[in-house]
Amino acid sequence: MTPIEITRNPIIKATLRNRWPQFVIRVIALAGFVLAIVAGFVGTPVGNHNFGIVFVWIVWWALLMLILVPLAGRSWCAVCPIPMPGEWLQNGALLKPRGKGFGLNRKWPKRFRNIWMQNIAFTLLALFSAVVLTQPSVTGVVLLLFLIIALVTSLIFERRAFCRYLCPVGGFIGLYSQVAPVEVRVKDPAVCAVHSEKSCYTGSQDGYGCPWLVYPGTLTKNINCGLCMECLRTCTQDNVALNLRSFGADLKQSSGHKLDEAFKAFIMLGAALTYSAVMLGPWGELKSAAYSIGTAEWLVYAVTLLGLIYVILPGAFLIAVGVGRTLARVLNPPQGSRESLKKSFAAFATALIPLGLMAWIAFSLSFVFASLSYVWPVLSDPLGAGWNLFGTAGVAWQPYLMSIVPFLQAGVLIGGLGWACVVARRIAAEQQTGRVVTWEALPVMGFCFVVTAGLLGLLIG
Amino acid sequence: MVIGLLAVAIVFVPNPIALAASGDRHFRIEASSYQYTPEAIQVSPGDHVTIDLVATDVVHGLYIDGYDLSVTADPGQTATLSFIADRSGSFRLRCSVTCGAMHPFMIGKLNVGSNDLLWRAIGLSALAVVVGVWVIRK
Amino acid sequence: MKAERLALLLVVVLTIGVPLAAVVARSNPDAIAVRAQMADDGGWTPGDLAVAMGQPLHLRLTSDDVVHSFAVGHSAIPAVDVLPGQWTTTTLMFDQPGKYTFYCTRWCGPNHWRMRGTIEVTGDVTNTTPIIPPLYVTLNLDLDAPHPSEVVPSERPSATRGAALGLKIDRAWEAAESPAQLWQQLRSDASTKNLSDDQVWDLVALAWRSNTTPERLAEGQQLYAQNCAACHGETGKGDGVIAPTLQKTPMSGMSMSGHETVAPIAFTDAKSMLGASDAILEGKIVRGGMGTGMPYWGPIFTAEQIQVVVEYLWTFQFDR
Repeated sequence: MTPIEITRNPIIKATLRNRWPQFVIRVIALAGFVLAIVAGFVGTPVGNHNFGIVFVWIVWWALLMLILVPLAGRSWCAVCPIPMPGEWLQNGALLKPRGKGFGLNRKWPKRFRNIWMQNIAFTLLALFSAVVLTQPSVTGVVLLLFLIIALVTSLIFERRAFCRYLCPVGGFIGLYSQVAPVEVRVKDPAVCAVHSEKSCYTGSQDGYGCPWLVYPGTLTKNINCGLCMECLRTCTQDNVALNLRSFGADLKQSSGHKLDEAFKAFIMLGAALTYSAVMLGPWGELKSAAYSIGTAEWLVYAVTLLGLIYVILPGAFLIAVGVGRTLARVLNPPQGSRESLKKSFAAFATALIPLGLMAWIAFSLSFVFASLSYVWPVLSDPLGAGWNLFGTAGVAWQPYLMSIVPFLQAGVLIGGLGWACVVARRIAAEQQTGRVVTWEALPVMGFCFVVTAGLLGLLIG
Repeated sequence: MVIGLLAVAIVFVPNPIALAASGDRHFRIEASSYQYTPEAIQVSPGDHVTIDLVATDVVHGLYIDGYDLSVTADPGQTATLSFIADRSGSFRLRCSVTCGAMHPFMIGKLNVGSNDLLWRAIGLSALAVVVGVWVIRK
Repeated sequence: MKAERLALLLVVVLTIGVPLAAVVARSNPDAIAVRAQMADDGGWTPGDLAVAMGQPLHLRLTSDDVVHSFAVGHSAIPAVDVLPGQWTTTTLMFDQPGKYTFYCTRWCGPNHWRMRGTIEVTGDVTNTTPIIPPLYVTLNLDLDAPHPSEVVPSERPSATRGAALGLKIDRAWEAAESPAQLWQQLRSDASTKNLSDDQVWDLVALAWRSNTTPERLAEGQQLYAQNCAACHGETGKGDGVIAPTLQKTPMSGMSMSGHETVAPIAFTDAKSMLGASDAILEGKIVRGGMGTGMPYWGPIFTAEQIQVVVEYLWTFQFDR
């Protein structure tokens, strides 16, 4: 399907170029963020009656995982409040550029220009997730740390380096944004080729150069584009467009498969499997182990999680890739040299992107709808202080849609598996032709099938 | 075409395994933070199920997904929930009374008959692999 | 630039104003906020309250962990649930000065019964009725001495069977006398010489039943279920859900008298129960177990309330 340019509509284009709608949403998000931190420190320690826990780990998470990421990629980054204070200092302005800024503006070190820091950050959060998700004060500390680290990063490094290289959330929504049906691309690369100012990257009086350190002229994948719309504001040639496109378009590209992104896929899959067992399973000892940080039981849980994410899953996947290549080589001896096992590994790992996204959606469906009703009392009494702002403080807990959630989960997981197989086949086709393609991809598909069966068993079994 | 028929078959063909005759089932479930013991109970469709909820440390509740039934028990005061298991499948039991930090994740299982959804889903997953492999060619 | 000013205003109002308003508006001067946590984590905060006689004491209550409940000992004020993350209110008023104990009435862990606080009610004493000490004090009974019964029935004594015997017995149930002692006296009475030992036990059961009413037994059962069953078991066998934890060491920071906690008494144990009098049972309930883990209920329940519980305890030995 050829992309449909939605910025062709003048109202849409004007709204996106106008700073106010985005700014207002961002400031509201920032207020919510601050309220969550405050609620963590002075609010009730009971998670399900605390704004911080309910609005971050239920509402925001549901919004992110069920709607924003699958349908609009990195759209959360466009309205995320975390980098705002830092950006204001860097830019010396809240809205349009005013020329002067504040900060050292250093370039991000070359050896960290990958998503490994984000992988590590997400892993750390995963190890402590049981406590983070249930204790308001811990959520408050984590959010405050985000704010401080983002601010400090902005004062030292250029642009949105925190977002691009440090934010653990950005790590996975960047990866999964490749699946989304929305993209920002230039309309005609030839126009960019003869445009010397490159105001999309350097900035202009109307806006800032791409805060994500991306050159829009050669942008082909969503993974690093935060949909902030600065390039829409700064391009003097009206050559930037926001397009609607088919799902998973970025996965069709045959180049640029990287190892750090592959491991992000394993981290997400491993975390989805672990949480499905620990959080949503019926085994209380696992939950107590995950919660009691510092004990021997927690250490076992931590080692198991790390082992699954960094050793077992990638190891099994490596075997699957290797076996597939061997099968292909036996059935169709290659004429020239093949790409290395490492390259194949990274390439095939793209099949895990739709698999992982669907796994997280399936996982999230369960606890989101079970806990969504906590929103009502928390709206009326965000700090658990006894208020009743909207009269809903006494609304009792009531799970929603629990009869249909298992069917939704099954559908989503099966869809993810089918999609992963399509991608695996396509990856194999980059190197092979004919029937051999199937054989090369088959072990990887088998891996995906086993993971899917495991998730089905844990979530609806 | 064949795939379509197979999919329909997986989804709709009734489970051939003969079901046990329905009767009265009585369970004693102990609730502690954050575990139900036994963590899963199995009944047949149509059974008249009675659950005695025994809270062993603090006040706990038990809510059944799909049936939308709940009961609360204080330690020392067993509470009883009685119902007819007229829906088949696997249903989560959730604690319905805040009982500590990990309360939202206090989960058990009620299995009524066989978990058809799971088996059909696994069947459809296998079919999805087939579809991904043979049917879609780009 | 006007746009920048407006933007800055928006930022300040929303980001700083809203959370600030939330923090400032938290306090409610009319009522005292009391937070409840499981005893090991602090219990009631504040644990000491004060009010003048005849003045209302408004309380707002919340729990920081699990379900609790608030009630005041020796007071008719109904218990009010204290729920996690939510607030409930109650208003207390006392017409006599003194030191009152407030306590948790919904089991919240092994140390639930230690969750108590005090209310100091100031004022001039107007009611000078003398305080009657419990019977074990008056009679100078040793509550901790073992009291095995020499004779036990071979089946559960039944008051109905006893009534069917049609005998007129002039010995009644007495607080200072154990069922074993009553049995001995009935056994040695001439009018029972043709009865079997078990039939004499049925007469003992009849004496018990005549000393109480179904309503009192129902009230006793209610109090037992809420306060005793968790340790002593719903069927009185000493196998309550909390019982397993009593074998372990008590709460850290609590100085014990040197005794270790012991398993809760089984009221179904005939040898031990039948040798105990109402006075001993009442005494144990009032005084508590001196470090064994048995709570002292003196400040909580009135003599009347303890009396109906004692009457109920015999249902673990006798049938009505």
